[in-house]
Amino acid sequence: MENKSKKYEIIEFLGEGQFATVYKAKDSISGNIVAVKKIKVGTVEDAKDGVNRTALREIKLLIELDHENIIALIDVFGHLSNISLVYDFMDTDLEVIIKDSSIVFTQSHIKAYAIMTLKGLEYLHMNWILHRDLKPNNLLVNKKGVLKIADFGLAKRFGTPDRLHTHRVVTRFYRAPELLFGARAYGPAIDIWAVGCIIAELLLRVPFLPGESDLDQLTKIFTTLGSPNEETWPGVTKLSDYVVFKKFPAIPLREIFTAAPNELLDVIGGMLNVNPLKRPTCSEALQMSYFSIRPPPSLGSQLPIPSCLKEKSSDDQDAKGQKRKFTDYLEGGTQPKRLVFDSLA
Amino acid sequence: MAGNFWQSSHYQQWILDKQDLIRERQLDLQVLSEEEYQKIGIFFSNFIQILGEQLKLKQQVIATATVYFKRFYARNSLKSIDPLLLSPTCVFLASKVEEFGVISNSRLISTCQTVLKNKLNYAYTQEFPYRTNHILECEFYLLENLDCCLIVFQPYRPLLQLVQDIGQHEDQLLALAWRVVNDSLRTDLSLLYPPYQIAIGCLQIACVIMQKDLKSWFAELNVDIDKIQEISRYIISLFELWKSYDEKKDIQGLLNKMPKFKLQPSR
Repeated sequence: MENKSKKYEIIEFLGEGQFATVYKAKDSISGNIVAVKKIKVGTVEDAKDGVNRTALREIKLLIELDHENIIALIDVFGHLSNISLVYDFMDTDLEVIIKDSSIVFTQSHIKAYAIMTLKGLEYLHMNWILHRDLKPNNLLVNKKGVLKIADFGLAKRFGTPDRLHTHRVVTRFYRAPELLFGARAYGPAIDIWAVGCIIAELLLRVPFLPGESDLDQLTKIFTTLGSPNEETWPGVTKLSDYVVFKKFPAIPLREIFTAAPNELLDVIGGMLNVNPLKRPTCSEALQMSYFSIRPPPSLGSQLPIPSCLKEKSSDDQDAKGQKRKFTDYLEGGTQPKRLVFDSLA
Repeated sequence: MAGNFWQSSHYQQWILDKQDLIRERQLDLQVLSEEEYQKIGIFFSNFIQILGEQLKLKQQVIATATVYFKRFYARNSLKSIDPLLLSPTCVFLASKVEEFGVISNSRLISTCQTVLKNKLNYAYTQEFPYRTNHILECEFYLLENLDCCLIVFQPYRPLLQLVQDIGQHEDQLLALAWRVVNDSLRTDLSLLYPPYQIAIGCLQIACVIMQKDLKSWFAELNVDIDKIQEISRYIISLFELWKSYDEKKDIQGLLNKMPKFKLQPSR
């Protein structure tokens, strides 16, 4: 595996997370552009634990999965606790696209992103895997407009009834109320909740329920969607971290999402039902009328490209001039390389 | 994967052909007879089982570790890595993959030392010679040789379903068949047959031992009965081997005869 590190020529630094550093690289044999995620060696204690557990989780799950809307693991290399995972290269992610104020979403765009997310997630759930960290930042998008679910560092197999899970999962804004109440036996509905939040964010262009703390998250959820009781959500008061909330009525979704068609409000309302048992499954959601009525979802090529990528491919060197020149030199010119990549992807 | 065996790496990449298996072992079989090779395999499967029990791991984790061990030597000579090192490494990796609690590397090493000293002193007279850095180095090598295929399907779950289908009060049958499945880990079965077939084979053996007549139930199963017979024969020959062989007396000689690994230069 050590020799493989030479197989990938690093082109540029893409980003850094808590556990890993990501680079854009070229496979020197196939010429394909890939993303190399180098897992950080943490403390001495971590180093003694051998192959990083988060990386191991990604490896064991992704090696078994094969779907258009799930990121593909191409290769693994490294040595000892110094491990790198190689993936499909993806140009951007949904968070960048949502935050790009130059992009105007049409109903077709939103529908296309929602369908691709749900199809990928449906496949995961069919394979008894919970993602447990869905958020716009983990939905990667390439230049062809294909969305792929990534980051399986928290993902877990489910379905064994006596096995409990930790409730400390999912980035707070997208965390379902049952998790916030400390549920340890939960299921695919937590991922559905996150998708509901993401679709709402596509409409609003800011996070729908941006809680500042776990308690504030619950407050935001219940003041918006109505507070639960034993009638609307049987068993809620038995959850270990249950707190009583004042009775809040639900705000009609129509008042929040003024421009959305009714059918889309049905989708959001279903996914953001505070009672997990009442949320639709991915397959049920995809059957809802919103996904079959007009307008049809955009084809990949019609989906928006964030302005930061457009700048990159244009010839004039502006703010990022120096760095661009350098990478252009390495890649032998940006334009033809992109074309090569597009035809291979 | 967890839901679909037929699309899993286990089925698509790791159900091997008997002939291929024998060919891969040529190097070792020049030194050892097939039976001697099997005895060494049994010894290290036992080592993994004892280690797992001492570390209070679930049988699922132990079984996964044993399959990792088998898969590794299905492609490599016993010479490539000392099985005494690979065994705890398989336990370590399997416990991480199955996510049943955390075993620290130091606890693993100290358990190896105790097990060798107290339970396997008939085989090894010296202390357990490996340390954390050896395990870590070996873990990576193992991961690579498994082609990163880490999810292993086991016969236990299909066995539970089958016994449930037979009837309500079959606890005794289940317990016996479960033990036969444990025994099957000492054979090459996990490399050659899908787990649901192994479960049926083990159930059949359990029925024979209990003299329980379930012929009509077996006849209803939609399964290749020849395969089941092959599986049964593997297990019966394991039982016969056990009867005729005293591990305590013979293993030291076998381990001496085993092709020896060259020490990996530490990097």
